Amino acid sequence: MNIGQDIIDATTDIFSTMLMMDLNVGDPVEGPGGEVLSNITSMLGLGGDIRGMLAVHCPATVAMAITGGFLGMDVDELNDDVKDAIGEIANMVAGNLKVAFAGYDMKIELAIPSSVVGESFRVTGMLGARRVAVPFDMVDGQFLVEIKYIVNS
Amino acid sequence: MDINENIIETTIEIFTTMVMMDISVAGPPLQASGALTDSITGMIGLAGTHKGVLAIHIPNPVAIAITSSFLGMDVDEINDDVRDAVGELANMLGGNVKTILSQKGRDIDLSLPSTISGHEYGFKATTNVDLVILPFKTEKGDFVVELQLEK
Repeated sequence: MNIGQDIIDATTDIFSTMLMMDLNVGDPVEGPGGEVLSNITSMLGLGGDIRGMLAVHCPATVAMAITGGFLGMDVDELNDDVKDAIGEIANMVAGNLKVAFAGYDMKIELAIPSSVVGESFRVTGMLGARRVAVPFDMVDGQFLVEIKYIVNS
Repeated sequence: MDINENIIETTIEIFTTMVMMDISVAGPPLQASGALTDSITGMIGLAGTHKGVLAIHIPNPVAIAITSSFLGMDVDEINDDVRDAVGELANMLGGNVKTILSQKGRDIDLSLPSTISGHEYGFKATTNVDLVILPFKTEKGDFVVELQLEK
């Protein structure tokens, strides 16, 4: 399994086909991370052969730029359009990961995206879960796609 | 029993048996969980025949009291113990809500639980959902259980 590569493929696929936005892909990081600074995080649970949580963490500038890419218009505040857009990114990445996991003979189901918006909040997952996170650089800043999971026995 | 009553019953049961804390319903269902200040949220996804999220939103002092009771030890700040306890609460609630929604909970899988904590944040579903948002009271203050189910 190469979850880091799966996250990269899942995310770059969406940005090139749906958003037509350029991304610089960073190196996947495995293991417990430091604090993630985010203004808006969309989280989506995964169940089935794994118990997981996918999160897309964005600073405000990046989230607004991504939303602008979706809508074809400038966005200047973290409104419902932005929450929906980042939620849709999480949904699509999770959908692509579902296909990737099927390739490992693992069946997963998606829950629904939740958006968390604030100036400084902290997201933590279950201790002992595996964690893989990939940073992506765009012209407006960096966002992080992170999955935490345990394999269901 | 309707779903509200089921969720109330299961929340009280978990708090009585696992947290060892007396709680009661604080009022009628809320329309939204609103802006959460100095709070901690435990959340877990439900996937399968029903898709949704179960979340519990707890102000910091209440979360500290819950954790102290749950773990049987004195806790005096929001730390990893509190985050774990709140995540575990969401896990237990999610497990029970599974069986409310689907016989023996067979066709619904639980995600990994997560917690969110901070000075001020908003938490909302970004797809079309039905909401059940129920306030509960404890000696130290109120908390809210929120179930979001995809329409």
